[in-house]
Amino acid sequence: MSNLLRILGVYKYSITFWFLLFSSVLLLLNNNSFLKSYYFNSSNMIAGKALSSRNSIINYFNLKSKNHQLLEENRYLIEKYMNVDSMKFFEIDLLENRYKLISAVVINNSINKKENYITLNIGSILGIKEGMGVITRNGIVGKIKYVSGNFSTLISLLNTKYFVSTLIKKTNTLSSINWNGDNPDQTKLLYVPKHVKIEVGDSIITSSYNSIYPKGILIGTIKSINKNINSNFYDIDIKLFQNFYNLSTVYVVLDTQKNEKILLELKNTNAR
Amino acid sequence: MRGNFILFIILIFTQIFVLNKMLFFDYILISPYLLALILYPYYKDSILNLFIGFILGILLDIFNDSLGLYALISIIIIYFKNSWVLKIIGNDKANEITLLSIFNLGKLNFFNYSFPVIILYYLLIIIFEFNVFFSFDNFLTLTFSSVSTYFVMVLLQYLFLKSDQKNEWR
Repeated sequence: MSNLLRILGVYKYSITFWFLLFSSVLLLLNNNSFLKSYYFNSSNMIAGKALSSRNSIINYFNLKSKNHQLLEENRYLIEKYMNVDSMKFFEIDLLENRYKLISAVVINNSINKKENYITLNIGSILGIKEGMGVITRNGIVGKIKYVSGNFSTLISLLNTKYFVSTLIKKTNTLSSINWNGDNPDQTKLLYVPKHVKIEVGDSIITSSYNSIYPKGILIGTIKSINKNINSNFYDIDIKLFQNFYNLSTVYVVLDTQKNEKILLELKNTNAR
Repeated sequence: MRGNFILFIILIFTQIFVLNKMLFFDYILISPYLLALILYPYYKDSILNLFIGFILGILLDIFNDSLGLYALISIIIIYFKNSWVLKIIGNDKANEITLLSIFNLGKLNFFNYSFPVIILYYLLIIIFEFNVFFSFDNFLTLTFSSVSTYFVMVLLQYLFLKSDQKNEWR
C-alpha cells in the first residue's frame, strides 16, 4: 500500500495531467452533458449577468441605430396592418393565435466559429423552454438550447450541427438548410432532388414540420445552383435575409399547440 | 505584483468581452489570455499549475459555450510550456525566475519560448474549434494570428510590466 502511495506521489503530476486532459475531452465530446446543460454555459447566472452588463454598456452607444431600427420595424408593421387583406402577419398564422411571440434582447453572439451560440436576456421565468424557435422580422435565428431562470442560450442558424426543415416556396419541396461554416451570409440547401425545377432567386421558407417555427417564415433566396455534382441532389447556396452581424432584438416563438401535436403523434406511434 | 494582477484581469476581460468575438481581416484571431499562461512561472511538477490552466480554460468555455475546448487547450499548453521552458533557459534559471516575461528571459529567449507555445495554441484551436486539420485558409489564420498575438503580448508586457520588473529583477 505504501509503495502504491509512493508511486502515486512520484507520478502525481502526470496523473493529474492525464486526469484533467481526460475530463476536458469528456466535456468536449459529451455535447449534452448535465454539467453543460445546467451550469457551464453562457446562460448561467454569473456569465449571464456579466454579458448582460456588457451588453447594456454597448447598447447605450447603439441607441441611435436602435431607434432607427425600431422606426423601420414600426413602419413595416403599419404597412402590413394597412394591407391586412390577406389576413397574414409576417406571412405566418399568428392571427390564429397558435403562435405567440416573446421579445428578447441578444446579449452575446458570435459568428466566427463553426458552432455559434447566442445568449438572450430572458429565461424560464418568462416561460422560455428548450426547443423553442427564435426569429426576427428578417427570418429565423435559431433554437433555444439551454435555459436558466433569467437567461437562455440558443443554437444559432450559423452552427454546423444545426439543421432546419424548410420548403422551397414556389414548388413546396421539402428540404433542409445547414450552415457549412464559411460565410455568415449564406447557408446550404440540402436534399433537393434534381428533378425539381428551381431557379436562382426562389424563396426558401420554414416548413413547420418540427413545431419549432411557424410555417412560412422567410429564410432566404437561392443564390446559386450547382447541378454538376455526382449526387441525386442539387448543391444549392442560400443567401440569408437575416443579418447575424448586428443582431439585437429577437422574438422567441411559443407554439401553444405543440404539446397537443406531440401527444397526438405519440399516440400514433404507440398504436403501431 | 500589482502590475501582474492588473495585467491578468485585463487579459481575461479583453479575451472574454472584446476579442472573443473579433476576427481581424478575415484571418487574425488575437488571444491575449494566452499571455497569462505563458507568463505563469515554472514550478517543477506543480499540480496547482495544471489546475489554474484548467480553471482558466473552463472560465473561457463558459462564456464561449464550448465546454471542454479551452480547458483542454490550456492543459496541453501548460504541460508543453513547462517542459519547453526548461529546454530554452535551463532548469536553474527556470526555477529562479518568478515571471516568464520578456524582461526576465531576454528578447530572444522570450521569442524562442513563447512563439512555439502560441503556434501550438492556434494549431489546437484550428483542429478542435474549426474541425479542420489542414487548409490554406487555416494556415494563413495560424500564421497571421500567431504573429499578431506575439506582438500584442510583447506590447502588453511593455505597457504593464516594465517598471515593476525593472525594480524587481534587474
